[in-house]
Amino acid sequence: MKESLYIFRDGQLRRKDHTLLFETADGKRYVPVEHVREIFLFGEVDVTKKMLEFCSQKEIPVHIYSHYGYYMGTFYPREHHVSGYVLLKQAEHYLDPSRRLALARRFVEGALDNMLNVLRYYKNRGKAVEPMQEAIESHRREVETAGSIEALMAAEGHARQAYYQAFDAILEDEAFRFGMRSRRPPRNRLNALISFGNSLLYSAVLREIYHTQLDPRIGFLHAANFRRFSLNLDVAEVFKPLLVDRVIFRVLGRRQIQADDFLHELGGLVLRERAQRVFVEEFEKGMRTTLQHRRLKRKVSYRQLIRLELYKIQKHLLGDEPYTPFVSRW
Amino acid sequence: MYVILVYDVDVKRVAKVLKIARRYLTWVQNSVLEGELTPSQYFQLKNELRRVANLNEDSFIFYVMRTSRYSEREIMGVQKGGWETIL
Repeated sequence: MKESLYIFRDGQLRRKDHTLLFETADGKRYVPVEHVREIFLFGEVDVTKKMLEFCSQKEIPVHIYSHYGYYMGTFYPREHHVSGYVLLKQAEHYLDPSRRLALARRFVEGALDNMLNVLRYYKNRGKAVEPMQEAIESHRREVETAGSIEALMAAEGHARQAYYQAFDAILEDEAFRFGMRSRRPPRNRLNALISFGNSLLYSAVLREIYHTQLDPRIGFLHAANFRRFSLNLDVAEVFKPLLVDRVIFRVLGRRQIQADDFLHELGGLVLRERAQRVFVEEFEKGMRTTLQHRRLKRKVSYRQLIRLELYKIQKHLLGDEPYTPFVSRW
Repeated sequence: MYVILVYDVDVKRVAKVLKIARRYLTWVQNSVLEGELTPSQYFQLKNELRRVANLNEDSFIFYVMRTSRYSEREIMGVQKGGWETIL
């Protein structure tokens, strides 16, 4: 069983005795390398070149976050699972407007359906989210008929706006009002949480892509541009409501993260380290949660589910079976 | 599966054994390591140990649990090592 390693403390991470050694002011800590799936660096960690070489050999991506908890980038090791054929198919689908649109539409539909499921759950618990549900449903119909990526993005954007408005009705907490979506930097607490959670999910999906033959640079909903990974953003859309937003409701509902867990920095708000740790812990718990998979007839974790989603996309690209996004069933 | 490894080997080989075991399991005390492994990782670990050990002199005990759900872990005295994924 592989685990994700999150490092918040300051120290040095290097290769020692064919495994990883994390050394801090108060001691050494060996990390069983055969156990490591990916590494998130939040603290001020010095790494050595040998350690990065080792991570490449062991196929471990290293995600780096800034002092303020912003995603800075990933050391994406040399690819071990490459397939010229899959790459060509992926590029072919991107370059053909109708095929690109068809796949992009699927991601948005999955995202919206999962949002609706989250809202349905809270509606059953007596929260006033009905107007938002209706708004999302009407945008859902626009998605089905959207004739261009731009129209699709617009429908998605409006649906998401309605969805985030529902957060206020669900949370009923003055300190965590949504207001409007703001990024780079997030201007209020709820936005800071959403941004932090999404960045964790983007990295986690990126790591799963690494273990498939897909190329993370070619997304379908998100345009492939010159530097960023974008396929992970597409796939993350489907899972955000389930893996990020539910964590937000959970940590706020239990008051594990409170109003004073945020600092004003860089013209916006950032989470204190304590809150980041709490969030990461709950996020990780969500990823490990298992559910019964109808087709496979066995239990799979949400993390495995992301991987299965990627296999479905690969099958779609190869023309084996059209892609249908994962939609939760509660 | 959850594995607890306890070993007693000749001093000449202690360091070698520790280095191998540390890649798969978490060190908890002198000559004791534990952790969650897949069946294949368990197999690999045993193979690697076999390569450096002298099985006429050295001894390894693996306590293998299908799940650690019904077990309890109590520490008396100093905690020397341990496994965490959020450091």
